[in-house]
Amino acid sequence: MDFDFSPVVTNWRFLASGLVLTIVLALASMTGATLVGTAVGIARHYGPRWLGLVLALYIDSMRAIPVLVVLVLPMIVDIQLSPFATGLVALTAHLGAYVAEIVRAGIASIRPGQTRAALALGMSRVQVVRKIVLPQAIVRMLPAYGSILSITIKDTAIATVIAVPELMRQSETIAAQSFRPLEVFTTTMLVFFLLLFPVTRGVDAVYRRVQHLGRS
Amino acid sequence: MTAYARIGAGTQPVIVYHEVVKRYGSFTALDRVSGQVNRGEVVCLIGPSGSGKSTLLRCTNALEPFDGGRVLFDGVELPRAESEARHVRRRMGMVFQNFELFPHMTALDNVAVGRVTVLGEAKAAARKRARSLLAKVGLSDKEASYPATLSGGQQQRVAIARALAMDPEVMLFDEPTSALDPETIGEVLNVMKQLADEGMTMVVVTHEMTFARRVGNWIIVFDHGRIVEEGPPAQIFDRPREQRTKDFFSHLGWGG
Repeated sequence: MDFDFSPVVTNWRFLASGLVLTIVLALASMTGATLVGTAVGIARHYGPRWLGLVLALYIDSMRAIPVLVVLVLPMIVDIQLSPFATGLVALTAHLGAYVAEIVRAGIASIRPGQTRAALALGMSRVQVVRKIVLPQAIVRMLPAYGSILSITIKDTAIATVIAVPELMRQSETIAAQSFRPLEVFTTTMLVFFLLLFPVTRGVDAVYRRVQHLGRS
Repeated sequence: MTAYARIGAGTQPVIVYHEVVKRYGSFTALDRVSGQVNRGEVVCLIGPSGSGKSTLLRCTNALEPFDGGRVLFDGVELPRAESEARHVRRRMGMVFQNFELFPHMTALDNVAVGRVTVLGEAKAAARKRARSLLAKVGLSDKEASYPATLSGGQQQRVAIARALAMDPEVMLFDEPTSALDPETIGEVLNVMKQLADEGMTMVVVTHEMTFARRVGNWIIVFDHGRIVEEGPPAQIFDRPREQRTKDFFSHLGWGG
Protein backbone atom coordinates (compact mmCIF):
# COMPACT_ATOMS: atom_id res chain seq x y z
CA MET A 1 0.00 0.00 0.00
CA ASP A 2 1.44 3.35 -0.93
CA PHE A 3 0.85 6.59 0.93
CA ASP A 4 0.38 9.83 -0.89
CA PHE A 5 0.37 12.93 1.23
CA SER A 6 0.45 15.27 -1.75
CA PRO A 7 -3.23 16.30 -1.33
CA VAL A 8 -2.35 17.50 2.14
CA VAL A 9 0.70 19.36 0.91
CA THR A 10 -1.04 20.91 -2.07
CA ASN A 11 -4.03 22.04 -0.02
CA TRP A 12 -2.15 23.11 3.09
CA ARG A 13 -3.51 26.66 2.95
CA PHE A 14 -7.05 25.35 2.81
CA LEU A 15 -6.41 23.07 5.78
CA ALA A 16 -4.57 25.79 7.68
CA SER A 17 -7.54 28.10 7.30
CA GLY A 18 -9.58 25.33 8.97
CA LEU A 19 -7.07 25.10 11.79
CA VAL A 20 -7.23 28.85 12.34
CA LEU A 21 -11.01 28.69 12.50
CA THR A 22 -10.85 25.73 14.91
CA ILE A 23 -8.64 27.77 17.22
CA VAL A 24 -10.78 30.90 16.89
CA LEU A 25 -13.99 28.96 17.52
CA ALA A 26 -12.44 27.17 20.51
CA LEU A 27 -11.12 30.37 22.08
CA ALA A 28 -14.36 32.27 21.47
CA SER A 29 -16.47 29.41 22.86
CA MET A 30 -14.22 29.06 25.87
CA THR A 31 -14.36 32.79 26.54
CA GLY A 32 -18.15 32.72 26.29
CA ALA A 33 -18.40 29.55 28.39
CA THR A 34 -16.14 31.07 31.03
CA LEU A 35 -18.27 34.21 31.30
CA VAL A 36 -21.54 32.26 31.36
CA GLY A 37 -20.16 29.56 33.66
CA THR A 38 -18.67 32.00 36.16
CA ALA A 39 -21.90 33.98 36.40
CA VAL A 40 -24.02 30.83 36.69
CA GLY A 41 -21.66 29.17 39.17
CA ILE A 42 -21.56 32.23 41.44
CA ALA A 43 -25.33 32.73 41.20
CA ARG A 44 -25.95 29.10 42.05
CA HIS A 45 -23.74 29.25 45.12
CA TYR A 46 -24.73 32.63 46.50
CA GLY A 47 -28.08 33.35 44.85
CA PRO A 48 -31.60 32.71 46.13
CA ARG A 49 -33.06 29.22 46.05
CA TRP A 50 -35.46 29.79 43.16
CA LEU A 51 -32.59 31.03 40.97
CA GLY A 52 -30.54 28.00 41.93
CA LEU A 53 -33.34 25.72 40.75
CA VAL A 54 -33.66 27.50 37.41
CA LEU A 55 -29.91 27.34 36.84
CA ALA A 56 -29.78 23.70 37.92
CA LEU A 57 -32.32 22.97 35.19
CA TYR A 58 -30.09 24.70 32.64
CA ILE A 59 -27.00 22.82 33.80
CA ASP A 60 -28.72 19.45 33.98
CA SER A 61 -30.30 19.78 30.54
CA MET A 62 -27.00 20.84 28.95
CA ARG A 63 -25.30 17.87 30.54
CA ALA A 64 -28.06 15.52 29.42
CA ILE A 65 -28.27 16.66 25.78
CA PRO A 66 -25.47 15.64 23.39
CA VAL A 67 -23.50 18.60 22.06
CA LEU A 68 -24.45 17.48 18.54
CA VAL A 69 -28.14 18.04 19.33
CA VAL A 70 -27.37 21.43 20.88
CA LEU A 71 -25.54 22.37 17.67
CA VAL A 72 -28.43 21.57 15.34
CA LEU A 73 -31.10 22.92 17.72
CA PRO A 74 -30.99 26.52 16.38
CA MET A 75 -31.65 25.18 12.87
CA ILE A 76 -34.59 23.08 13.98
CA VAL A 77 -36.26 26.06 15.64
CA ASP A 78 -35.33 28.10 12.55
CA ILE A 79 -33.04 30.71 14.08
CA GLN A 80 -31.12 32.39 11.25
CA LEU A 81 -27.47 32.63 12.20
CA SER A 82 -24.26 32.03 10.30
CA PRO A 83 -22.79 28.54 10.86
CA PHE A 84 -19.96 30.05 12.88
CA ALA A 85 -22.32 32.04 15.10
CA THR A 86 -24.53 29.00 15.58
CA GLY A 87 -21.52 26.91 16.58
CA LEU A 88 -20.31 29.60 18.93
CA VAL A 89 -23.68 29.99 20.68
CA ALA A 90 -24.22 26.23 20.98
CA LEU A 91 -20.74 25.47 22.29
CA THR A 92 -20.90 28.40 24.71
CA ALA A 93 -24.24 27.22 26.10
CA HIS A 94 -23.11 23.62 26.32
CA LEU A 95 -19.68 24.20 27.85
CA GLY A 96 -20.93 27.04 30.05
CA ALA A 97 -22.87 24.47 32.04
CA TYR A 98 -19.73 22.46 32.71
CA VAL A 99 -17.73 25.54 33.61
CA ALA A 100 -20.55 26.56 35.98
CA GLU A 101 -20.22 23.29 37.85
CA ILE A 102 -16.44 23.69 38.07
CA VAL A 103 -16.83 27.23 39.40
CA ARG A 104 -19.43 26.16 41.94
CA ALA A 105 -17.29 23.27 43.18
CA GLY A 106 -14.28 25.58 43.36
CA ILE A 107 -16.15 28.14 45.46
CA ALA A 108 -17.64 25.47 47.71
CA SER A 109 -14.17 24.04 48.37
CA ILE A 110 -12.92 27.25 50.00
CA ARG A 111 -13.49 26.76 53.68
CA PRO A 112 -15.93 29.08 55.47
CA GLY A 113 -13.19 30.36 57.78
CA GLN A 114 -11.73 32.32 54.86
CA THR A 115 -15.03 34.13 54.40
CA ARG A 116 -15.30 34.72 58.15
CA ALA A 117 -11.79 36.17 58.28
CA ALA A 118 -12.56 38.55 55.40
CA LEU A 119 -15.91 39.57 56.89
CA ALA A 120 -14.21 40.16 60.24
CA LEU A 121 -11.97 42.74 58.56
CA GLY A 122 -15.13 44.57 57.50
CA MET A 123 -15.28 43.50 53.85
CA SER A 124 -18.63 43.42 52.09
CA ARG A 125 -19.98 40.13 50.73
CA VAL A 126 -19.07 41.22 47.20
CA GLN A 127 -15.52 42.10 48.25
CA VAL A 128 -15.15 38.74 49.99
CA VAL A 129 -16.09 36.90 46.80
CA ARG A 130 -13.93 39.04 44.51
CA LYS A 131 -10.82 39.45 46.62
CA ILE A 132 -10.71 36.31 48.75
CA VAL A 133 -12.88 33.43 47.52
CA LEU A 134 -12.67 33.64 43.72
CA PRO A 135 -8.88 34.07 43.43
CA GLN A 136 -8.36 30.90 45.48
CA ALA A 137 -11.19 29.05 43.71
CA ILE A 138 -9.67 29.87 40.31
CA VAL A 139 -6.38 28.28 41.29
CA ARG A 140 -8.16 25.15 42.47
CA MET A 141 -10.29 25.07 39.31
CA LEU A 142 -7.30 25.05 36.95
CA PRO A 143 -6.95 21.28 36.37
CA ALA A 144 -10.66 20.81 35.66
CA TYR A 145 -10.69 23.97 33.56
CA GLY A 146 -7.76 22.62 31.53
CA SER A 147 -9.75 19.48 30.75
CA ILE A 148 -12.69 21.56 29.57
CA LEU A 149 -10.34 23.61 27.40
CA SER A 150 -9.10 20.52 25.57
CA ILE A 151 -12.63 19.15 25.29
CA THR A 152 -13.67 22.48 23.76
CA ILE A 153 -10.97 22.29 21.10
CA LYS A 154 -12.05 18.76 20.22
CA ASP A 155 -15.76 19.61 20.31
CA THR A 156 -15.25 22.24 17.62
CA ALA A 157 -14.81 19.30 15.22
CA ILE A 158 -18.47 18.43 15.73
CA ALA A 159 -19.35 21.84 14.29
CA THR A 160 -18.55 20.30 10.93
CA VAL A 161 -22.15 19.00 10.84
CA ILE A 162 -23.45 22.56 10.57
CA ALA A 163 -20.88 23.39 7.90
CA VAL A 164 -18.52 25.53 9.93
CA PRO A 165 -15.34 25.46 7.81
CA GLU A 166 -13.09 24.41 10.70
CA LEU A 167 -10.28 21.88 10.50
CA MET A 168 -12.49 18.79 10.41
CA ARG A 169 -14.75 20.20 7.73
CA GLN A 170 -11.80 21.22 5.55
CA SER A 171 -10.23 17.80 5.99
CA GLU A 172 -13.43 16.09 4.88
CA THR A 173 -13.53 18.26 1.78
CA ILE A 174 -9.94 17.46 0.80
CA ALA A 175 -10.41 13.79 1.62
CA ALA A 176 -13.47 13.59 -0.62
CA GLN A 177 -11.79 15.42 -3.49
CA SER A 178 -8.52 13.51 -3.39
CA PHE A 179 -9.80 10.05 -2.42
CA ARG A 180 -7.01 10.01 0.17
CA PRO A 181 -8.97 9.94 3.46
CA LEU A 182 -6.32 7.93 5.32
CA GLU A 183 -3.53 10.42 4.68
CA VAL A 184 -5.73 13.47 5.19
CA PHE A 185 -7.33 12.32 8.44
CA THR A 186 -4.01 11.02 9.79
CA THR A 187 -2.69 14.53 9.30
CA THR A 188 -5.79 16.01 10.96
CA MET A 189 -5.35 13.72 13.93
CA LEU A 190 -1.70 14.71 14.26
CA VAL A 191 -2.57 18.41 14.09
CA PHE A 192 -5.18 18.02 16.84
CA PHE A 193 -2.67 16.15 18.97
CA LEU A 194 0.03 18.77 18.44
CA LEU A 195 -2.48 21.46 19.36
CA LEU A 196 -3.87 19.76 22.46
CA PHE A 197 -0.77 18.20 23.95
CA PRO A 198 0.94 21.53 24.79
CA VAL A 199 -2.36 22.93 26.06
CA THR A 200 -2.96 20.17 28.62
CA ARG A 201 0.71 20.02 29.59
CA GLY A 202 0.84 23.80 29.84
CA VAL A 203 -2.17 24.01 32.14
CA ASP A 204 -0.67 21.30 34.35
CA ALA A 205 2.63 23.17 34.52
CA VAL A 206 0.93 26.45 35.42
CA TYR A 207 -1.13 24.67 38.10
CA ARG A 208 1.95 23.16 39.71
CA ARG A 209 3.49 26.61 39.98
CA VAL A 210 0.48 28.36 41.50
CA GLN A 211 -1.00 25.48 43.49
CA HIS A 212 0.12 26.88 46.86
CA LEU A 213 -1.88 30.07 46.25
CA GLY A 214 -5.10 28.11 46.64
CA ARG A 215 -4.10 26.15 49.70
CA SER A 216 -5.87 27.58 52.69
CA MET B 1 -17.10 41.59 92.07
CA THR B 2 -16.94 42.54 95.76
CA ALA B 3 -13.41 43.28 96.94
CA TYR B 4 -11.77 43.52 93.53
CA ALA B 5 -11.80 46.70 91.53
CA ARG B 6 -12.33 45.70 87.91
CA ILE B 7 -10.30 47.59 85.28
CA GLY B 8 -12.39 50.23 83.59
CA ALA B 9 -15.11 49.96 86.23
CA GLY B 10 -17.32 53.03 86.24
CA THR B 11 -16.70 53.85 82.58
CA GLN B 12 -18.86 52.73 79.70
CA PRO B 13 -18.02 49.12 78.81
CA VAL B 14 -16.74 48.41 75.30
CA ILE B 15 -18.90 45.32 74.99
CA VAL B 16 -22.05 44.39 76.87
CA TYR B 17 -23.79 41.03 76.52
CA HIS B 18 -27.37 41.04 77.67
CA GLU B 19 -29.22 37.73 77.95
CA VAL B 20 -27.70 36.44 74.69
CA VAL B 21 -29.32 33.24 73.42
CA LYS B 22 -28.02 31.12 70.55
CA ARG B 23 -29.56 27.83 69.46
CA TYR B 24 -28.47 25.29 66.86
CA GLY B 25 -31.68 23.35 66.29
CA SER B 26 -32.58 21.89 69.67
CA PHE B 27 -29.09 22.53 71.08
CA THR B 28 -28.73 25.68 73.13
CA ALA B 29 -25.21 27.00 72.63
CA LEU B 30 -25.71 30.17 74.65
CA ASP B 31 -28.29 30.24 77.39
CA ARG B 32 -29.06 33.85 78.38
CA VAL B 33 -25.45 34.94 78.73
CA SER B 34 -24.83 38.35 80.26
CA GLY B 35 -21.55 40.07 80.93
CA GLN B 36 -19.31 42.89 79.88
CA VAL B 37 -15.85 43.84 78.69
CA ASN B 38 -14.36 47.12 79.90
CA ARG B 39 -11.92 49.31 78.05
CA GLY B 40 -8.34 48.18 78.61
CA GLU B 41 -9.33 44.81 80.01
CA VAL B 42 -8.07 41.39 78.96
CA VAL B 43 -11.06 39.11 79.43
CA CYS B 44 -10.37 35.39 79.08
CA LEU B 45 -13.19 32.98 78.32
CA ILE B 46 -12.38 29.49 79.56
CA GLY B 47 -14.29 26.25 79.92
CA PRO B 48 -14.74 22.85 78.29
CA SER B 49 -14.96 22.47 74.51
CA GLY B 50 -18.45 23.14 73.20
CA SER B 51 -19.38 25.23 76.23
CA GLY B 52 -20.22 28.31 74.15
CA LYS B 53 -17.07 30.45 74.48
CA SER B 54 -16.28 30.63 70.77
CA THR B 55 -19.93 31.10 69.91
CA LEU B 56 -20.12 34.13 72.19
CA LEU B 57 -16.97 35.53 70.58
CA ARG B 58 -18.49 35.17 67.11
CA CYS B 59 -21.67 36.87 68.27
CA THR B 60 -19.54 39.80 69.43
CA ASN B 61 -18.75 40.98 65.90
CA ALA B 62 -21.98 39.70 64.36
CA LEU B 63 -20.29 36.86 62.48
CA GLU B 64 -22.85 34.61 64.11
CA PRO B 65 -26.49 35.68 64.26
CA PHE B 66 -28.10 34.98 67.63
CA ASP B 67 -31.64 34.17 68.62
CA GLY B 68 -32.26 36.34 71.65
CA GLY B 69 -30.84 39.08 73.80
CA ARG B 70 -28.64 41.97 72.80
CA VAL B 71 -24.97 42.73 72.26
CA LEU B 72 -23.86 46.34 72.63
CA PHE B 73 -20.59 47.59 71.21
CA ASP B 74 -19.47 51.01 72.42
CA GLY B 75 -22.97 51.59 73.76
CA VAL B 76 -24.73 50.78 70.50
CA GLU B 77 -26.67 47.60 69.78
CA LEU B 78 -25.18 45.41 67.04
CA PRO B 79 -27.03 45.95 63.78
CA ARG B 80 -28.93 42.99 62.37
CA ALA B 81 -28.42 43.97 58.72
CA GLU B 82 -25.31 42.56 57.10
CA SER B 83 -24.57 45.81 55.28
CA GLU B 84 -24.33 47.65 58.60
CA ALA B 85 -22.58 44.89 60.50
CA ARG B 86 -19.42 45.50 58.50
CA HIS B 87 -19.05 48.99 59.93
CA VAL B 88 -18.93 47.47 63.41
CA ARG B 89 -16.73 44.53 62.44
CA ARG B 90 -13.95 46.70 61.13
CA ARG B 91 -13.63 48.32 64.55
CA MET B 92 -12.92 44.89 66.07
CA GLY B 93 -9.95 42.72 65.17
CA MET B 94 -10.38 38.96 65.11
CA VAL B 95 -7.82 36.17 65.27
CA PHE B 96 -8.84 32.60 64.45
CA GLN B 97 -7.77 29.17 65.62
CA ASN B 98 -6.74 28.17 62.07
CA PHE B 99 -5.15 31.55 61.25
CA GLU B 100 -7.21 31.91 58.07
CA LEU B 101 -4.52 33.88 56.29
CA PHE B 102 -5.32 34.46 52.63
CA PRO B 103 -3.10 31.94 50.78
CA HIS B 104 -2.99 33.88 47.52
CA MET B 105 -1.37 36.94 49.11
CA THR B 106 2.06 37.58 50.61
CA ALA B 107 2.33 38.18 54.34
CA LEU B 108 2.57 41.91 53.62
CA ASP B 109 -0.55 41.98 51.48
CA ASN B 110 -2.45 39.88 54.01
CA VAL B 111 -1.85 42.69 56.48
CA ALA B 112 -2.48 45.48 53.97
CA VAL B 113 -5.60 44.12 52.27
CA GLY B 114 -8.03 45.30 54.96
CA ARG B 115 -6.88 48.89 54.76
CA VAL B 116 -6.94 48.87 50.95
CA THR B 117 -10.27 47.08 50.53
CA VAL B 118 -12.26 48.27 53.51
CA LEU B 119 -10.82 51.70 54.23
CA GLY B 120 -9.99 52.51 50.61
CA GLU B 121 -6.44 53.49 51.50
CA ALA B 122 -3.80 53.72 48.76
CA LYS B 123 -1.79 50.54 48.36
CA ALA B 124 1.56 52.15 49.12
CA ALA B 125 0.35 53.73 52.35
CA ALA B 126 -1.35 50.50 53.46
CA ARG B 127 1.84 48.52 52.78
CA LYS B 128 3.89 51.00 54.74
CA ARG B 129 1.60 50.49 57.69
CA ALA B 130 1.65 46.73 57.16
CA ARG B 131 5.44 46.76 57.23
CA SER B 132 5.53 48.42 60.62
CA LEU B 133 3.01 45.91 61.97
CA LEU B 134 5.00 42.95 60.66
CA ALA B 135 7.99 44.47 62.45
CA LYS B 136 5.92 44.71 65.61
CA VAL B 137 5.17 40.97 65.52
CA GLY B 138 8.81 40.21 64.63
CA LEU B 139 8.32 39.16 61.02
CA SER B 140 9.96 41.92 58.98
CA ASP B 141 11.97 39.34 57.06
CA LYS B 142 8.85 37.44 55.98
CA GLU B 143 6.92 40.18 54.21
CA ALA B 144 7.32 38.60 50.76
CA SER B 145 6.54 35.07 51.97
CA TYR B 146 3.30 33.31 51.18
CA PRO B 147 1.41 31.74 54.10
CA ALA B 148 2.10 28.19 52.86
CA THR B 149 5.81 28.73 53.53
CA LEU B 150 5.37 30.02 57.09
CA SER B 151 5.22 28.03 60.31
CA GLY B 152 2.01 27.99 62.34
CA GLY B 153 3.35 30.46 64.87
CA GLN B 154 4.50 32.81 62.11
CA GLN B 155 1.13 32.56 60.35
CA GLN B 156 -0.71 33.40 63.55
CA ARG B 157 1.52 36.42 64.15
CA VAL B 158 0.78 37.65 60.61
CA ALA B 159 -2.91 37.12 61.39
CA ILE B 160 -2.57 39.27 64.50
CA ALA B 161 -0.86 41.98 62.44
CA ARG B 162 -3.67 41.72 59.86
CA ALA B 163 -6.27 42.35 62.57
CA LEU B 164 -4.25 45.20 64.10
CA ALA B 165 -3.97 46.90 60.71
CA MET B 166 -7.57 48.06 61.00
CA ASP B 167 -6.74 49.96 64.23
CA PRO B 168 -9.33 48.00 66.18
CA GLU B 169 -10.78 49.18 69.47
CA VAL B 170 -10.93 45.61 70.70
CA MET B 171 -9.22 42.37 69.69
CA LEU B 172 -11.07 39.05 69.69
CA PHE B 173 -8.97 35.89 69.90
CA ASP B 174 -10.64 32.53 69.17
CA GLU B 175 -8.35 29.84 70.60
CA PRO B 176 -5.33 31.44 68.92
CA THR B 177 -2.83 28.77 70.01
CA SER B 178 -4.94 25.60 69.80
CA ALA B 179 -3.74 24.67 66.30
CA LEU B 180 -0.06 25.39 67.01
CA ASP B 181 2.88 23.13 67.66
CA PRO B 182 3.92 23.42 71.30
CA GLU B 183 7.22 25.09 70.42
CA THR B 184 5.55 27.95 68.57
CA ILE B 185 2.83 28.72 71.11
CA GLY B 186 5.16 30.93 73.12
CA GLU B 187 5.92 33.37 70.29
CA VAL B 188 2.20 33.98 69.73
CA LEU B 189 1.43 34.37 73.44
CA ASN B 190 4.31 36.84 73.74
CA VAL B 191 2.83 39.04 71.02
CA MET B 192 -0.55 38.89 72.78
CA LYS B 193 1.07 39.75 76.11
CA GLN B 194 2.77 42.73 74.48
CA LEU B 195 -0.59 43.91 73.13
CA ALA B 196 -2.16 43.58 76.56
CA ASP B 197 0.69 45.58 78.08
CA GLU B 198 0.02 48.34 75.56
CA GLY B 199 -3.50 48.59 76.92
CA MET B 200 -5.41 46.85 74.11
CA THR B 201 -8.86 45.65 75.08
CA MET B 202 -8.89 41.91 74.44
CA VAL B 203 -11.36 39.05 74.61
CA VAL B 204 -9.52 35.75 74.50
CA VAL B 205 -11.05 32.29 74.20
CA THR B 206 -8.26 30.05 75.39
CA HIS B 207 -7.19 26.76 76.87
CA GLU B 208 -3.88 28.30 77.94
CA MET B 209 -4.53 28.59 81.66
CA THR B 210 -1.08 29.99 82.37
CA PHE B 211 -1.70 32.81 79.92
CA ALA B 212 -5.19 33.47 81.31
CA ARG B 213 -3.81 33.67 84.80
CA ARG B 214 -0.81 35.84 84.00
CA VAL B 215 -2.24 38.18 81.37
CA GLY B 216 -5.98 38.06 81.96
CA ASN B 217 -7.61 40.67 84.18
CA TRP B 218 -11.01 39.05 84.23
CA ILE B 219 -11.85 35.38 83.78
CA ILE B 220 -15.23 34.06 82.68
CA VAL B 221 -15.85 30.33 83.10
CA PHE B 222 -18.31 28.70 80.71
CA ASP B 223 -20.13 25.40 80.88
CA HIS B 224 -23.08 24.18 78.85
CA GLY B 225 -23.75 27.58 77.31
CA ARG B 226 -23.85 29.40 80.63
CA ILE B 227 -21.45 31.47 82.66
CA VAL B 228 -20.55 29.35 85.68
CA GLU B 229 -18.60 32.05 87.44
CA GLU B 230 -16.46 35.07 86.71
CA GLY B 231 -13.89 37.10 88.52
CA PRO B 232 -10.26 38.16 88.66
CA PRO B 233 -7.70 35.40 88.00
CA ALA B 234 -6.65 35.16 91.64
CA GLN B 235 -10.18 34.29 92.63
CA ILE B 236 -10.99 31.94 89.75
CA PHE B 237 -7.74 30.00 89.78
CA ASP B 238 -6.97 29.96 93.50
CA ARG B 239 -10.36 30.06 95.15
CA PRO B 240 -12.99 28.92 92.64
CA ARG B 241 -16.42 28.98 94.22
CA GLU B 242 -18.27 26.70 91.87
CA GLN B 243 -17.88 22.95 91.77
CA ARG B 244 -18.03 22.97 87.95
CA THR B 245 -15.05 25.34 87.80
CA LYS B 246 -13.11 23.01 90.08
CA ASP B 247 -14.12 20.02 87.94
CA PHE B 248 -12.93 21.81 84.81
CA PHE B 249 -9.54 22.56 86.35
CA SER B 250 -9.09 19.00 87.61
CA HIS B 251 -9.88 17.71 84.09
CA LEU B 252 -7.05 19.88 82.80
CA GLY B 253 -4.75 18.56 85.50
CA TRP B 254 -4.57 22.09 86.85
CA GLY B 255 -4.05 21.96 90.61
CA GLY B 256 -6.27 24.96 91.29
